Amino acid sequence: MENGKNRKYTEAPIKVLLAKPAIDGHDRGIFVLARAFRDAGMDVIYAGLLPTPEEVVDTAINEDVDVIALSLLNGAHLTAFKNVIDIMNKKGVHDIAVVGGGIIPDEDKPALEKMGITGNFGPGTPLKIIIDHIKKRAREIRKLRENEYR
Amino acid sequence: MNIDNLIEGILNGDNRSIARAISLVENSDPVSRERIIKSIYSAGNAKVIGITGPPGVGKSTIIGNIAPMLSDYGKVSILAVDPASPFSGGSIMGNRIRMQKSLSRKGIFMRSTSNRLYNGGLSEYSWDIVKILEASGSDFIILETVGSGQSDIDIMNIADITCVILAPGLGDEIQALKSGIMEIGDVFIVNKIDREGSYIAIKDIRETLNLSNKIKTPVIGINSIDIENYDKFLDYIVNWNKKNYREKYVRKLRQIVLEEIYNKYSYYIDNMDYTEDTLKRDPYTTAEIIIDSMNKIIDKSTYK
Ligand SMILES: Nc1nc2c(ncn2[C@@H]2O[C@H](COP(=O)(O)OP(=O)(O)OP(=O)(O)O)[C@@H](O)[C@H]2O)c(=O)[nH]1
Ligand SMILES: [Mg+2]
Repeated sequence: MENGKNRKYTEAPIKVLLAKPAIDGHDRGIFVLARAFRDAGMDVIYAGLLPTPEEVVDTAINEDVDVIALSLLNGAHLTAFKNVIDIMNKKGVHDIAVVGGGIIPDEDKPALEKMGITGNFGPGTPLKIIIDHIKKRAREIRKLRENEYR
Repeated sequence: MNIDNLIEGILNGDNRSIARAISLVENSDPVSRERIIKSIYSAGNAKVIGITGPPGVGKSTIIGNIAPMLSDYGKVSILAVDPASPFSGGSIMGNRIRMQKSLSRKGIFMRSTSNRLYNGGLSEYSWDIVKILEASGSDFIILETVGSGQSDIDIMNIADITCVILAPGLGDEIQALKSGIMEIGDVFIVNKIDREGSYIAIKDIRETLNLSNKIKTPVIGINSIDIENYDKFLDYIVNWNKKNYREKYVRKLRQIVLEEIYNKYSYYIDNMDYTEDTLKRDPYTTAEIIIDSMNKIIDKSTYK
């Protein structure tokens, strides 16, 4: 990026927190995702295991990410993801998008969507679909934020 | 929420306000950036600790260890700069992972930032971010550079104390580093002294410093896995009293002025009338004409 160019908030790289909100014994998949997101022009934070929902939310707030991408392969989504949403609501954080992924049974998806967690991609989803979805959510968030501080 | 609330939030040490202000400074128009910085400029008084050195020597691990120790002496905040990919412009910000445990334990504010291909080991707005962290009541601000070794020298213009981190086994790399990074360190840390060759590394660095008249500059060997010898390092940081007021000021002033000039000339160049006569004239001459006419405008304005 050139020096001194007048940038628009909406044009800066999308910032994503990749988080595993519980131990699931899988690390490799998340590195593949991190690299794919970077190669799509995003700033990706991978903080390792963030075992408590408070840690996920605090990290997202301090890093001021546009999107939290939650991934879990142990089947505990409904509780683990819900805990994150609960903390966000408790703290009044409404301008960060939450996207989910992992082995998610179809019957759980409506409940997740209702909480505001979108995507909910299963293993083997083409990276492009995930990336496009994250970009779309990030754009919505940026729109929301753009005129917040005038 | 508006900027006034945001500024109040920064001064009250509210993490969400601090975080959002940093995003505005990095991503937004110059107007918001100036408003924020002008309002908070004189607030706070922090010691800025620069941590630099080649990739993988243990900078983030060290920060993860030293930050909780420093928090016994005052409020600590951390800023870590990661390199952007020259291909996509994106980045993987991997420094946090080494610090996360101690951050959570002590509630320390840490922010990752991409250098967005800015040279020198920091990002374009690192100065402004440090200012925000200072205004939020931090007593210590730890700043990790990109870690590209030799070229990470901008840190000396922002930090009050610059710590150069090295490790045994760098071998030839230390030779190469001598030219750049060896000049900027106020203290040299040889990390990973649990590894073979640490005695030789410390000796080599000591001798290099002695040869360049830096006999008093300390070289401290530490082990960051078992946390050995940190007391000396900590003492040194806590007792450091020099402040780089002037360097910091000059660096930022230069940046602002150059940015302004760059924008003005760019605008001029982009919007100039490129007649056939212009295109026939060599660009050196055209450049002189542009600069001359700009100088006339500058001469007219008064300086204070
Ligand atoms: N043996 C040993 N390994 C260490 C020590 N300190 C750090 N490491 C390891 O060195 C590796 C790199 O550590 P980081 O803290 O990420 O290094 P860094 O300098 O921040 O790396 P970049 O930010 O990528 O330039 C990790 O695997 C650490 O566990 C040490 O004192 N001894
Ligand atoms: Mg690091």
